[in-house]
Amino acid sequence: MVEAIAMAHGWEMQHDESVVVLGQDVGVNGGVFRATQGLQARFGADRVQDTPLAEAAIAGMSVGMATHGLKPVAEIQFMGFLYPALDQIVNHMSRMRSRTRGRLTCPVVIRTPHGGGIHAPEHHSESTESLLCHVPGIRVVCPSSPARAYGLLLAAIRDPDPVMFLEPARLYRAVREEVSDDGRALRLDRCFVLREGSDVTLVTWGALTVEVLRASEELDSRGVSAEVIDLATLSPIDEATILASVAKTGRLVIVHEAARNAGLGAELAAIVAEHGLYDLLAPIRRVTGFDTVIPLSRLEPDYIPSVRRIVDTVLLTMAN
Amino acid sequence: MSTFYLPDLGEGLAEAQILQWHVKPGDQAQADQPMVSVETAKAVVEVPVPFSGTVVALRARVGDVIATGAALIDFDSGSVVGRIPAAPAEPGGAMVGGAMVGGATVGGATVGGAVAPRGARRGAVPAARALARHLHIELGEIAGSGPGGVVTIDDVLAQISPADRESRGHAVPLRAATLAAPPAAAREPLRGTRRAMAQSMSLAHAQVPTSTVFEDADIDSWRERGDYMLRLARALIAAWRTEPALNAWYDAAGDARIVLRHVDLAIAVDTADGLIVPVLRAVQDKTPEELRAALAAQKDAAHRRSLAPGELRGGTLMLSNFGSLGGRYAVPLVVPPAVAILGAGKVRQEAVAVGKTVSARRRMPLSLSFDHRCVTGGEACRFLAAVIADLEKPD
Amino acid sequence: MPTVAEFKIEYRQILDAQGDVAGEPPAFACDREEVLRMYRAMTLERSFDAKAVNLQRTGQLGTYASSLGHEATHIGVGAAMRPEDVLAPVYREIGTQLWRGVTMREILTYWGGDERGSDFAQPRHDFAWCVPIATQTLHAAGAAMAFKVRKEPRCAVAYIGDGGTSEGAFYEALNVAGARALPLVFVVVNNGWAISLPVALQTAARTLAQKAIAAGMPGVQVDGNDVFAVRESVAEALDRARAGAGPTLIETLTYRLSDHTTADDSSRYRPEGQVRAAWSVEPLVRLRAYLYRSGWWSQQQEQALLAQCAGEIDAAVAEYATGAGPSTDAMFDHLFEQLPAHLREQRATARKYGTNPGGL
Repeated sequence: MVEAIAMAHGWEMQHDESVVVLGQDVGVNGGVFRATQGLQARFGADRVQDTPLAEAAIAGMSVGMATHGLKPVAEIQFMGFLYPALDQIVNHMSRMRSRTRGRLTCPVVIRTPHGGGIHAPEHHSESTESLLCHVPGIRVVCPSSPARAYGLLLAAIRDPDPVMFLEPARLYRAVREEVSDDGRALRLDRCFVLREGSDVTLVTWGALTVEVLRASEELDSRGVSAEVIDLATLSPIDEATILASVAKTGRLVIVHEAARNAGLGAELAAIVAEHGLYDLLAPIRRVTGFDTVIPLSRLEPDYIPSVRRIVDTVLLTMAN
Repeated sequence: MSTFYLPDLGEGLAEAQILQWHVKPGDQAQADQPMVSVETAKAVVEVPVPFSGTVVALRARVGDVIATGAALIDFDSGSVVGRIPAAPAEPGGAMVGGAMVGGATVGGATVGGAVAPRGARRGAVPAARALARHLHIELGEIAGSGPGGVVTIDDVLAQISPADRESRGHAVPLRAATLAAPPAAAREPLRGTRRAMAQSMSLAHAQVPTSTVFEDADIDSWRERGDYMLRLARALIAAWRTEPALNAWYDAAGDARIVLRHVDLAIAVDTADGLIVPVLRAVQDKTPEELRAALAAQKDAAHRRSLAPGELRGGTLMLSNFGSLGGRYAVPLVVPPAVAILGAGKVRQEAVAVGKTVSARRRMPLSLSFDHRCVTGGEACRFLAAVIADLEKPD
Repeated sequence: MPTVAEFKIEYRQILDAQGDVAGEPPAFACDREEVLRMYRAMTLERSFDAKAVNLQRTGQLGTYASSLGHEATHIGVGAAMRPEDVLAPVYREIGTQLWRGVTMREILTYWGGDERGSDFAQPRHDFAWCVPIATQTLHAAGAAMAFKVRKEPRCAVAYIGDGGTSEGAFYEALNVAGARALPLVFVVVNNGWAISLPVALQTAARTLAQKAIAAGMPGVQVDGNDVFAVRESVAEALDRARAGAGPTLIETLTYRLSDHTTADDSSRYRPEGQVRAAWSVEPLVRLRAYLYRSGWWSQQQEQALLAQCAGEIDAAVAEYATGAGPSTDAMFDHLFEQLPAHLREQRATARKYGTNPGGL
């Protein structure tokens, strides 16, 4: 996936001079995950900038760059370091268009590694996407495969409004597939149906799509046909696809790595409770991270929803 | 012999290529000395000897690309290398090339919207769906009266009238006693309310182990004579608040009971056309004035046969005030799925011992029948006591 | 036009790269036991650090940030502090921490991915490692404020790297420390690199010490590979702070001889010549030369010290490797003082699916 991301940068920077990359270690070093590998050599240090160590500055400068003719694609090195930048994101980026009635706009993409499972040190395993989804005026996107990372990143860069692009760190290298460098963007605000099924709808995003697909296979062998939907754009949510799926299956289980309380699963459950209640055959359930600090690497496997936990929850839902 | 496996060299690296070995089989390797140089996606890394021992075999050759967790080298040593747990066991072992991660296909998706249309399953209010399941009714066969054809509770209740039940094979088949009718008599096939009564009472008799408690209420102190129906309705509501177990439905097949939170009072009315049992909905929330008005309206509508089918179904508690016609006590039949019926007989002056003297007092005889599968004697007696307590209030 | 403000930044060195002392050495530099104590600590740090890197490379430790090259700064700071002072480290300064009583096992436990590593047996009051850059400087300011309010003769010492001095939090900490005359010493470890960004691209300021001037406190630059100069400067700054004269910023110049962490490859962005040159002025070599020249040390003693360090390190590694892992329940411990009710159910779920429910 990380190569697909670099490839998408390359295509767009080639075809749109206003696209500029900035962040810590993104230039000479190509990014600590190599997501911007080779870009500075290709496009120069003005367009691929190694910034000083300051996340608020990265976000704040992106606002200024975007409102004045550039399309910044900024990297925050890990989601755990996003928080100094929140002031700029929430108080400015998200509402620049609104408060100037469209006179000034912010075509910014902020990319950051999302989630855990890579033995990283403290603070390197965050999945606090709920904080971002709660902010009107920004989009939140989380790809789950190299091809979708490529297509969605292009869409994000081309979008005239701010996009938070959360990249599942443990999929950076774990997933590989052929991706054609054809500059074709995928649509934002749309789910991807990864697997069709008839007994239960599983909605997830990011790195857990792997576990959810594995769980679906195990469920298949137990006679349960699962439909798997990758939410992909976490905000705004593609309600129509989810409701249509629940209308078909009658059951919904949401799986996310982020903590349970006020996680995005709650929003999805509310949407279906409001608009799809009469289709439900069983209560909506969520399989999530616990409401604890995500533990360090020793206990991390106990925190992240496992295939077994997912399968058990689906079977419970089937039994209702 | 111990095998050492390629560790995760940094934050999710999945594989490494062997560049150069610094030990060979037979060497006495010392911990921390250089063992092998490998190249990852990020860097060239030198992996040191993990623990001292004799090298037995190199498990990969220069140029090989091996995955994190694959065997790297064998030592002849008993040393235990304390291990950080591998990255979550499930995603381990990535395959290079092809859109696979340990068997799960992650690529290839349809974009939102391409979901097959919903099947013939009916939309239903969840409570209705649960009720239907308890009563073993197929939702697919019910016409939904809710918005968009959604099946509601009433729609489900409409299915449990005796006629429908019979067609589903739940009713006990009527035992056709063969009778030789006297030639001169006119044989009248049962229709309408008589037929309904025959079927529901057969069902009641067949299914319900009815038990009855008798007691009298002393209404001598009533300030105003009788609006008996109103007082009885009020007393039933009061008794329900004390002992809710009698306001319930019993699902024999599902081995469950539903204790209801509203009281839909079914009142037996004797009309020219026979027994009619209109149901007053949610009487627990009605003020006395509303209750009086509703009772009057129902009675009127019953006599005029202007009640809709929905008003004849789904009672949760039943009342038969046969006393207006005569009779003291009775063993009223409990019609399922309800579990209780109160019969009120004729109010009369009776000689009653009050302390050591005998005096004449107005008394109302009461007969409370209950489905003993679902209601205990204790619950029934408490309920009846509460009915009486309310009836005995002066107003 | 009148000049209303000017500044100058002094550079301090006592022990040069060859191990010679110019001028009068401070008292502790004439005390054989004291100097040996520091040298042993620097050697232990060097040896332990190398072991930690090897543990990561063999899958026995998670990502680890090496302290190679920083020993003089770390030990100089540690030796100048009092036990009751408070340290707010970043994540590299194991030398200072080991000096102050944190154990090798605790360090390995932390980098091995177990929160118990931060539950120092001592000192109980030191801050834990801090990964979000520069946030620890504000914590140190807060602790210093607590000492001031409670009238305790204690100081806080905040470490920060050259990269960290670009963060807003750093400026805020400097400012409030100066504005409130807090008993605080900032130690800016300028090791030349913030992952791949050299200091020259990090800031236009000629020195990092001069950032202190803007906040109204003294700033001094010190040869960070000179344990004498570091100790002397930090001791003076702590005396000032303890006497109520407010904060100081000390910039120690050193070099990050290793990669940023074991997840980094600095050969991608650093010229080899630069690294080699840095090795020639590294801290242990010069102190060793000083010891030999003073007649306080011998080859034999050097070997014995290395062997002793290796023994202590191996023992700590064995303890770490064979120690029980955290139980699944540990995720729920210490979230609040009392565990809220809704979390009890989650804990039961975690136990049911956990890899180590019994904590074996």
